[in-house]
Amino acid sequence: MAKHVPTPNGTEMTGATSLVKSLEAAGVDVMFGLPGGAILPAYDPIFDSTIRHILVRHEQGAGHAATGYAQVTGRAGVCIATSGPGATNLVTPLMDAAMDSVPLVAITGQVPSAAIGTDAFQEADIRGITMPFTKHNYLVTDPAEIPRAIAEAFHIATTGRPGPVLVDVAKDALQKMTKYEWPSSINLAGYKPQTAPHAQAISDAAALIAQSSKPVFYVGGGVIKADAHKELRQLVELLGAPVVTTLMARGAFPDSHPLHMGMPGMHGTVAAVTALQKADLLITLGARFDDRVTGKLSTFAVNAKILHADIDPAEIGKNRHADVAVVGDVKQTIVALIPALKAALAKNQPDLSTWLRQMNSLKETYPLGYDLPSDGSLSPQHVIERIGKISGTETIFTAGVGQHQMWASQFISYEHPRTWLNSGGAGTMGYGVPAAMGAKVGAPDATVWAIDGDGCFQMTNQELVTCALNNIPIKVAIINNESLGMVRQWQTLFYEGRYSNTSLDSKRVPNFPMLAESMGCVGLSCERPEDLDKTIEKAMSINDQPVVVDFRVHRDAMVWPMVAAGTSNDEIMIARATAPDWDSQEL
Amino acid sequence: MTNTSRRQHTLEVLVENAPGVLARVAGLFSRRAFNIDSLNVGPTENPAISKMIIVVGVEGHSLEQVIAQLDKLISVISIKEILTGAATEVHDTQPDYQN
Repeated sequence: MAKHVPTPNGTEMTGATSLVKSLEAAGVDVMFGLPGGAILPAYDPIFDSTIRHILVRHEQGAGHAATGYAQVTGRAGVCIATSGPGATNLVTPLMDAAMDSVPLVAITGQVPSAAIGTDAFQEADIRGITMPFTKHNYLVTDPAEIPRAIAEAFHIATTGRPGPVLVDVAKDALQKMTKYEWPSSINLAGYKPQTAPHAQAISDAAALIAQSSKPVFYVGGGVIKADAHKELRQLVELLGAPVVTTLMARGAFPDSHPLHMGMPGMHGTVAAVTALQKADLLITLGARFDDRVTGKLSTFAVNAKILHADIDPAEIGKNRHADVAVVGDVKQTIVALIPALKAALAKNQPDLSTWLRQMNSLKETYPLGYDLPSDGSLSPQHVIERIGKISGTETIFTAGVGQHQMWASQFISYEHPRTWLNSGGAGTMGYGVPAAMGAKVGAPDATVWAIDGDGCFQMTNQELVTCALNNIPIKVAIINNESLGMVRQWQTLFYEGRYSNTSLDSKRVPNFPMLAESMGCVGLSCERPEDLDKTIEKAMSINDQPVVVDFRVHRDAMVWPMVAAGTSNDEIMIARATAPDWDSQEL
Repeated sequence: MTNTSRRQHTLEVLVENAPGVLARVAGLFSRRAFNIDSLNVGPTENPAISKMIIVVGVEGHSLEQVIAQLDKLISVISIKEILTGAATEVHDTQPDYQN
């Protein structure tokens, strides 16, 4: 890749060239996109740009790939599409990125400004459509405004609570001549994220922690976004309290650490769920009391005080009242909290030994587990566990949404941040393959596995063509239970086994290995436990092509533990109709 | 979640005078299930800034949450609560836009 040479301000060029120069000035090295009429003027200067443009097969793939890239690198991911349906195909990835606070910049072409509002060919009000789930968005009709809009978009996307920003540019603004003026500074009157925590809030937080006897660190995805994992570990070890990491925070704290109780929530461990329920203090760091974590809110952690640290002031008190709120960057918050807590603990060192003993007892009594199918078929959990073990802790995993996603969170050990990418808030089926593509582009030396379901895979697998043709050798494990497995699980549990429209059983149509081969990938399959390890090792040995493995697994496996939707975390089940034996626990 | 009884508050919101800003504010109230009792928009001495007077019916949400969400809009520059007496005068002289 040629090194970017800054363009002098005042240079005459088209709006299209100004757009591409602006993206270069913003530091973009790769973008995912697909051209069309309204964005076409921009594709001419893209042809000469230092930016690597990866031509996707569907704009949704571009959006999730940009997210995968962003989640792995911590930098803004960029996707680009044309007007109308090109732009609306980005809607799902934008909503997904908003829910999971992903820094994303989407560029769309718009019909010429004179045609806006006339129902012109391929016209869609994408600014209006995306208002609810972009952090901000722009419609640019004056070419002179392009550099500033791009500079602001990247600033907004990557600072404060990260999020997606869309810049819609009218075709005539791309075609007209303009003077390129990259802004020397950005000053948005309505956007001043508070990154430094207040000193008073830090000392209140330290005092609250030092008074607690049953504290728990409730760690969310914000810790990964803020690159605060090292500081988190120092803070945790200073206090010696148990830790739970949410679905978005897997990898923020090592799974192997003795203080880690696992993931809380609907499919969390008994230890993690109970730690939250029985705590007298939740030390909430970059988490947002999502309904999948809290269960029935009115019964969530009823005896706990809440310390809530978040960069987004609107998260404070949104779902749960905070006794002490710390607004700011969570890394800066933890860095400030460590000395404050040391001082507070010097005066009053709480005895956490009973609390830790109780939690460790739960962790030992109720580890995550699964039964092997009695008919000798493949267990989906076992497949995922072996992929994790064989590929190692430096591997980056993505997932679709459903049972395989939960098992990939539960049965793979995450030791490092940015190694687990999934669609947490949005629950976007089809996220796995394109996100893996973006992750591999962002981290080309890492092994990238998409753990996907057969339902999810059929939504976005066309991006394997993009991977095959652009030297993006990802690995895909299809956990093929011939079902929309999680929906089927709910039908088993809550709809008397009436499997309305969840069967994908169609006599091996499509034939996944053949489909993979047709897209330029290596297609493998595995249906017997004795072939499992050697199939995974075969997939691991292929590094010059994408690999797809069709793991034909047992259909009736279910995700446990489970807190049924809308019920209390106290009603956690470890298997069907089986609650933990609370009487044997001293809680 | 602290206020459960319905109460009116009047907010003076300075926003960028730019296309789409009214849609951003109205859309936020709609999607967050906040109630607008009335809303009016007018100019300020600075042509780049408009002033919105929003009467919010707070029910099931705290006023703090309404303000915090509103403040997340990049186009919103400042938010100030004004006293009820003064607010009634202001919004009674303007047409109502029921949510």
